[in-house]
Formats: sequence, C-alpha cells, structure tokens
Amino acid sequence: MSEYNHPYQDVDFVIKEIVEFDSFCQNAGLEDINSEFASVILNEAAKLGSEVIAPLNTTGDSQGSSLKDKKVQQADGFSEAYQQYMENGWSSLTAEAEFGGQNLPNLFGTAINEIWQSASLAFSLCPMLTQGAISAIKHHGSESLKHTWLPNMISGQWTGTMNLTEPDAGTDLAAIKTKAVPNNDHYLISGQKIFITWGDHQMTENVVHLVLARLPDAPAGVKGISLFVVPKFLLDEQGNTTSQLNDVHCTALEHKLGIHASPTCSMSFGDNDGAIGYIVGEPHKGLSYMFTMMNHARQDVGLQGLAVSERSYQQALQYAKERLQGTNKDGSRFSIIKFPDVRRMLMQMKASIEAMRALAYVASNETDKSRYAKTADEKAKHFSRVELYTPIVKGWLTELAQEVTYLGTQINGGMGFIEETGSAQHYRDARILTIYEGTTGIQALDLVGRKTLFDKGEQLALLLIEIAQTSVDLKQYPQLDKLALSLENAVITAQEARNWLLDNAQADKSAAGSVSVNFMMMFGYICGAWMMAKAAIKSQQKLDLGEDKTEFFKAKLVTAQFYFEHLLPRIHTNFASIQAGSDSIMSLPEDQF
Amino acid sequence: MKILVTVKRVIDYNVKARVKADNSDVDLANTKMALNPFCEIAVEEAIRLKESGAATEVVVVSIGPKACQEQIRTSLALGADRGIQIETDTMPESLNAAKLLAKVVEAEQPGLIIMGKQAIDSDNNQTGQMLAALLDMPQGTFASKVELIGEKVHVTREVDGGLQTIALNMPAIVTTDLRLNEPRYASLPNIMKAKRKPLVVQTPVDLGVEMKTHTQLVKVEAPTERQAGIKVNSIEELIEKLQNEAKVI
Amino acid sequence: MAILIIAEHDNAVLKAATLNTITAASQMGDECHLLVAGSSCSAVAEQGSKVAGVTKVLLADNTVYEYQLAENISKLVTELAPNYTHIVSAATTTGKNFMPRVAALLDVAQISDIIKVESENKFKRPIYAGNAIATVESLDNIKVITVRGTAFSAATTLDSNASIENLNIVHDAQMSQFISEEVAVSERPELTAAKVIISGGRGMGNGENFALLENVADKLGAAVGASRAAVDAGFVPNDMQVGQTGKIVAPDLYIAVGISGAIQHLAGMKDSKIIVAINKDEDAPIFQVADYGLVADLFEVLPELTDKL
Repeated sequence: MSEYNHPYQDVDFVIKEIVEFDSFCQNAGLEDINSEFASVILNEAAKLGSEVIAPLNTTGDSQGSSLKDKKVQQADGFSEAYQQYMENGWSSLTAEAEFGGQNLPNLFGTAINEIWQSASLAFSLCPMLTQGAISAIKHHGSESLKHTWLPNMISGQWTGTMNLTEPDAGTDLAAIKTKAVPNNDHYLISGQKIFITWGDHQMTENVVHLVLARLPDAPAGVKGISLFVVPKFLLDEQGNTTSQLNDVHCTALEHKLGIHASPTCSMSFGDNDGAIGYIVGEPHKGLSYMFTMMNHARQDVGLQGLAVSERSYQQALQYAKERLQGTNKDGSRFSIIKFPDVRRMLMQMKASIEAMRALAYVASNETDKSRYAKTADEKAKHFSRVELYTPIVKGWLTELAQEVTYLGTQINGGMGFIEETGSAQHYRDARILTIYEGTTGIQALDLVGRKTLFDKGEQLALLLIEIAQTSVDLKQYPQLDKLALSLENAVITAQEARNWLLDNAQADKSAAGSVSVNFMMMFGYICGAWMMAKAAIKSQQKLDLGEDKTEFFKAKLVTAQFYFEHLLPRIHTNFASIQAGSDSIMSLPEDQF
Repeated sequence: MKILVTVKRVIDYNVKARVKADNSDVDLANTKMALNPFCEIAVEEAIRLKESGAATEVVVVSIGPKACQEQIRTSLALGADRGIQIETDTMPESLNAAKLLAKVVEAEQPGLIIMGKQAIDSDNNQTGQMLAALLDMPQGTFASKVELIGEKVHVTREVDGGLQTIALNMPAIVTTDLRLNEPRYASLPNIMKAKRKPLVVQTPVDLGVEMKTHTQLVKVEAPTERQAGIKVNSIEELIEKLQNEAKVI
Repeated sequence: MAILIIAEHDNAVLKAATLNTITAASQMGDECHLLVAGSSCSAVAEQGSKVAGVTKVLLADNTVYEYQLAENISKLVTELAPNYTHIVSAATTTGKNFMPRVAALLDVAQISDIIKVESENKFKRPIYAGNAIATVESLDNIKVITVRGTAFSAATTLDSNASIENLNIVHDAQMSQFISEEVAVSERPELTAAKVIISGGRGMGNGENFALLENVADKLGAAVGASRAAVDAGFVPNDMQVGQTGKIVAPDLYIAVGISGAIQHLAGMKDSKIIVAINKDEDAPIFQVADYGLVADLFEVLPELTDKL
C-alpha cells in the first residue's frame, strides 16, 4: 500500500529555478504572487492530498463505482473527500474573480493538480472534467449562460462533464450523431454518448453535461457540430437546482483496466421527449470551441503522466529500500536498492520524472506568459509556444509514464504483480493516458502537421534556437561540458529531423504519419534534456555559491547526467526510424498481416 | 478579547531525525520542516474561540530565523489575524524564548495565551510554564479541554492519573495537549487572504531582551538501536521463549 | 551544598517515581533533601524519610498545596532554592507542570527528562522523540532538573529515618483553583512502575476488547497501556497512553498488541528490556524493534495466551 508525500523539494526547485517564476511574476505585475507563496499553497494542498485523498486511491480501485436504478454510486469516502476539497475552496483556483474564482496563474493550477492526480488519479478526474466544462462555458457562452452556470461550477457545488464521444465517433468526432432540436428558449437533445468520465455520481447536487450535437440544418462533417449545456437536474427561474431530473441518465458503466473509481459512463440523452439543453455560443462552432480548451486539457493529461509516475516511483523506492534480497559475507542481508540493476531502474524513473515535471510546469507557465503579455506580438509568441508544447507534453509524458510505471512494478518483483502492494494499480491507471484526450497518434499528427508542416517548421526552429542557447550556457561550467556537447549534438539531430520532415512530407503522403510518433518522442526527449540542462546549470551555480541544500543540488547533477547518458541517446533510434521513412511501414499489403 | 498563540518551526513529525556525522547536532539540512503539531492545535483552539465570538483577534508569534515566517503564514492561512516574527539566528533556549514572549505579551495584553505543550524537537515542555512564571500568570498545562466560564478559563488537563480540571484567573496561559482538538485544513480563500495579513519582524534588541546562555550542547548521539529479534510461530513458542530464554515471566 | 528533591505523591503514598529520582539526585551530590508539599501528607514524609540517600525531609503540609497547583508549589520551591545546588523532580505531569516555573523564577534553565548524570553539571537527555540523545552542560549556579524515572533504578528503603522538618511556608497565589478530577482507580500496577506491560493499539477495534488484554494482564500482574491511536479513537482513557507525549515506560517485558509501531509510540517504550509484538501485519514497523514477534490475529491468540500462562 503506498502513501503519497508531496515531492516539495523538486517542485520548489522547478518553480523557482527552471520556470523562474519570481521574475515572471514581477514582469506580469503580480504583486503578492511569487515562488514563496506557491510553496505555502502547495504545502496546504499537499496536506489535503496526502491525508484525505491519497488513502482513497486503493480502496477506490478495489471498490470502483456501481449503477443502480439509473444512479451511479461512487466509491466509499469519495463524496466526503470531495466535500472537503470543495469546502476548502480548491475548486476555484484558476477561475476568474468575476465568478468567484481566485484568479491564480495557470502554473499554480498545474502544480496543485499534480497533487490531486498523484493522490488519486480517479478522484482528480472529477475536478479536471469540471474545469474543462467551465472553460468551454467561460470562453464561448453568452453572459447569461455564464452567470447561470459558472458560479456553482467554479465553487465545485456542481461538477461538469464533457460528452463528445459516441460508439461510432471517437477520434473521428465529425461522425457524431447526437441531435439537438430547437424548442422555445432551449433545445432538446437526444443521442448516446460513451466514455463519459464522472458522468454521474451522488457527490454534488447537480452535474452539468457539455454535449456536442448536431442541429437539424447543420452542414455535414466538422463544421456542423454545436455545443450544449445539459444539466442533470433542471434549474428553476432563480437558477437553483430543482429535484426534477432532466431527460438524461447513465445507462451503463464501463469495466475498465484502470482508474476504477472514476465512473466511465454511457449516457443516454432524450429517451423520452429529449433532454433540455442550452446552446453555448453560436451554432455549428462546437468543434472549434473544443479546440480552445484543447491545450489545457491535453497538457493536463500529460501532467497525469507525471503524477502517476511520481506515485509509482515513491512506492517502488520504498520497496527497494526495505526489500532484503541479498546476503553479505557476514550473513547480514541487504536491500535491493544496492543492486546496480535496481538502481538503474530507480534512476531512470527519477530522471524521467524530473524532466517531465520541469517540462509540464514550463509549458504551463507559457500560458501565463501569453495571458500577461504586454504586446500583441509577445502574446502571440507565447501562445504559439503553448501550442507547440501541447502535443509534446501530452504525448511524450504519457508515453514515458507507461515505461516509468512498468519499471515501478518491475522493481517490486513478484509483489509488483500482486495488487496489495499498490504498484500494479499505478501501472494499470497509467494505461489510459496515452489513449484519451487524443491518442499518442493524434498528438504526433498534431505535432508534425499543424505544429510543424503548417508553419514550415518556424515554431520548431525557434524552440531549437533556445535549446541551442542553453547548450552554449552549459559551456560556462567545465563540470557540465559533456552535457553541453550532448545537447549541442541533440539540437543538430533535431534540426535534421525537422528538415527531413519538411523535405519529405510533400512527396510522400504517408511520410508525416509514419514518422510522427518517433518525431514526437524525439522532441520530447530533447525538451526533457533541455530541462535537465537548465536544472544542472542552476544546481552548479548554487553549489559554486556555497548555498544550502548541497545534497539536493548534487543529486540533481547526477540525475541530469543519467538523463543525458541513458535517456537522451534514444533520439538516435527515433531519428533512424524517421530517416527510414514510410517504406517498410506502408508497403506490406493488408492481407499479408 | 485578544488571544496570543505561539508557533514553532520544527522537524515534520513524520520524519525520523538523524544525527550529524560529527555529533554536533541533529541533521536538519535536507529535512522537511513544519508547524509543531502542538502549536497547530493551539492555533486551531484560538480560531475556534474567535469563531464562537469569545475572542476578537488572534495574534500568532514565532521565534527563529526568516524561514519560520512560513509557519506564521500557515497560521494566518488557518485564520489567525496578525503575525509577529522575532528574528533570531538560532532557536533560543526556553527561558530566553519565554523572556522574548513576555515582552510581546506586555505589548499586546492578550486575555489568553495558548501554546503547544512541547516542541517535538527539543521535547522540553517548559516555555509555557516559564512564560507564566515571568508574567506571574496562572497556567493550565496539557489541556484537553478549554472552556471560558464567567471571568475564568476552565482547563481540563491530561495528567498521569487521568484528568484534572482547574479554573484560572485571566489572563492565563494554556498549553495544549494532543486531544484538545483536530486542526482544520487551510482553505484556499483563507490562504489567499493570509497574504495580505500583517507580519511584523522584531528582534531581541527591539524587545530589550538580553539572551544569556544557560546551557551548552556538548554533543548529540544516536541512541543505541534495538535490533529486530525473531519471529515466533505460536503462543506456545512465545511463552517458552519468555520463560526460558528472556526469563521475564 | 545539597540537592532538593520534590516528592511525587498523592498525599497518602510516596510514588515510585520519586525513588528513581532520588537515585539520579544521589549521583549529582551527597546531601539530598526531600521536599514533601501537600495536604495532610505526613505519611508521605514518613515514607520519604526511610529512603536511602535522603538525609532530611522537609514537610510543607497545607491545604494550599493539596492539589499541587503549580503557582503555589513553584513559589515554595523557589523560596527554598538558594540553599541548594540542584532542584530535582520526577518528569511526571506534576513535575513537568511546576518545575519550569521554578526555573524561570530563579532565572535559570531547566534540563528536562534526563536519562543520565554525567557529572554534577552535565546530563544526557532524549530529544526528537528519542531519536537523538543530547549531552547538555549547565552553566547555572542552581540546576533545575526533571528525571526520567525509567532510566534510573529505584532507591532502596532503609529501616532508619532521616529527620523531618516542618516548614511553615504558605504560598497561596490565588490564581488557580482545583475544580474536579477523574482519576482512574486500578488495582493494577502503575504504568510507569510496572515490570510487565501489555498495550493495545488501533487493532483492538474498540474499548471492550481491551478486556482481552486485561485477562493477560491479570495472569502476569501487568499494567495495561495503549497507543495514541487507541486513546484518540476513544477505546481507553488518556492516562493509559504510552508514547513520546504520553507515558515513558521501560518495563522488563512490554507486549505490544495490534500496535503498528509509529516513531512516537516507540519513543515511549523502546527502552523496555524485552519487547514482544503481536500484529497481523508482518510489515508493521513494531517488528523491527521486537525481540519476539508473532504475526497473528490478536483475537485468536490473546485468549490462547491467557489460557496457557
């Protein structure tokens, strides 16, 4: 059974030294916000996470949720934990003050979400989906829609869900069939949705579904989808929840490989006369509205990759320290952490996690930089960077999480396969991360397509220039010269990969798709190296200045060294695959499989 | 009525302290620090008294280097109104801490002073009592219940034999024991509000306190570790071992 | 100069903790005076006069001292203090309550909970829940000390009596009043003095189940203790709590039943001569300090233990 302890030292380091949050706050004119305040908030969130939410992770996993009389009952303790979460105001973190939010920077939301997600991934999905629903309404809803729905969603009294997927429409959202028919001042929604996370539960007085549906006169394909708010319970004239159920309910719960405590619902809208729904924004703009939220939602899932990896690591580390499986000559036994191969696995987990954290937080802060930019140019620049980071953060962190949780279980040996130790749950819970919110394949296509080919690789070039600058910065430290050389060479390889894509995509229609995942992973490893390089520079500076916490900084240097020696070289495999192009991928006829 | 609460920055209670290799002290370099659990209970009690209307203001004081501002901020986030940090390089001896606090009490004139019964680093259990003596105030130590009745404060104390309830004239000093209350989690709105709450820094010089050294820490050693023994497989085996091997029954 | 020891008593009986304290005091100097402050407590003075090492007993018998109110006792001790080099008491809740007041009134430090006397001004004491042992040197002319009873053997009783001097010192601060008390009455030995202790933790499930421990305790003439978790959960009253902030015990035999072995609990009992742990979780930290560990369901084995003893 694993406990969760907030990795506050690394988090504080990332926020202060890699994100350089204090100078961001100064530039943005955020007076009382700084890394010290971040520390205080995270400390409090960590208490709630470790003491109230984390203990539910295992019990939630074994209990799951159940459906009876069209009502979904969530696992024991979840409702009470959610009450505490909500009553302590955590729901309103990043939302704007106008609707009762605390208006804190995105970075805070990310650092705090990491805590909820590590504590219990299944639990954290509820607030996460609510945040997505809030975002959609906030960005695109009319003033009256916002006033009706946002305050209670932001406070957490009502949770939210995103109803997009249908049996025939997952990756291909354009194929949805759910209908919306105008009726007086609202619409009547009917259709089936599947894979709806926290689609129903008994923790709050209402659930607000955001639903993609087609209007009767909608054009075919992507341009014919609209977005609607469909509440579980209807509201009265004053906007309060009544006891009248809307025509929507959960018809089934999925039996999944992981995140058992998160009820994954099939929802049926309009079994009777149709579920009452209210349009968000303008007709036929639904999918483009989804895109607004996409950066945040996708980066949030990338964060989940970090969070579950951290949890798996803590459990594996504890096990490695305690498990005695070696005998000294004098007969005393020693723990497996002394074995080189176990050390290797732990180092790999550690290095992966530290790189993931830095990248997730840096990417998150780009959103803040875009928001607080002083000129339109600056705003656009940072926003483009957010867009570029999104597929890398989502795709690379979640893929890496598969490996990290695998290693966590491996370190546990036979006991890793036994549910009781807790490692197996992290391994299972991680599996969904490369799938939902856009599969790895989709993220990769986004990177090579919209984020590279579309602008002829300009944004990618700007990123590589920055990374190259860091390799120059590294040269100022003789102890870091190996890192400098590696990073420099990595940038060159990345440029070659970029050029290959730009050169070959036109001629070979399968090229981009074929190389996309390798391309994404390659840039993931390079961004991770970039983060670890920055970490190494800061750590070396601190050691040179004789600052406190020398053990921490020395450890960071070793971890950076590991990353560069054992993870970064993977880009060569990625690159070799990229250069091989689509030939052996596409030329085998289907019937030969 | 104003309540003064003292808080100390100490090692996190989950962490097992390690002794430095040179035996000069405990190694706190990379250790997680936190609000002393007994002090947290003191803050909670003060806030509950404020919420019930019995008190109007809760002032929190901490003695130590700048880092202890974190504990003051946490206390403000829990609901205290104002913070005072008495800046010292190192943690002072209990008597000196009491002398510094006495000056703060003289300036603040609280009706009640609530402190943790002991800090989990020094495990001294002295400062509250010393402060009471310096101020010639009554004390209710190891409190498991605090009730304001009329002009007095009734304190139920956890003592070796069970429970003892005494009534104290006010102003009085109460030191908290574990079962007095269960501290709340800080809410986000309160954490945000705390940023704006005043935190004043003072020094022993400002307070006019001369800190004499009464004791010298000669060295710190690790205790002799108990080794794990053996596992027995049955009650019979256990009894046999206790009788014949350990000879304790 | 002499050493003043303040006796721990209930006005009728001198508590065992004082005997251990006298042993510690004897290591600090030759002449030990025992102060008995209480009400109608001359019997205690008698008992005290027979303890080896005590050269004189001072009796302050007055109703103002009946309940050992710190404000009164401390003033009495402070008045006597100038005649002594050391003021010593047991680290009981009584001693812990008033001694720091004495120290502050004398403008000296207090050294709490000592486990060893290195010299007349150097002592060892546990810190950080006993995870470290500090050696502290006093620079004061008068040392105010509280003693951890379990670290010293009990002084013996002799046939001869030391002299008993009546003190006519009455200090009534009138700042505090005794209202009531709930004292556990038990025929079992006191926890801090017992040679055998059996303690229950959260694993006991509820207060009634402590009867299973009592049955064993009856057979062994043992005291019954509890972990903080059991007291917090309301299974048993607080005076049974063994731990960093509860009672410190060091019996010959300590049996921990359904106790996981948190740092804070270990701090209270790890000096026991023999530790036995009974717990169904083989990974419980208590097994790391137990001399004999039995991984079993306590509900099954406790009755068996009672039967077979």
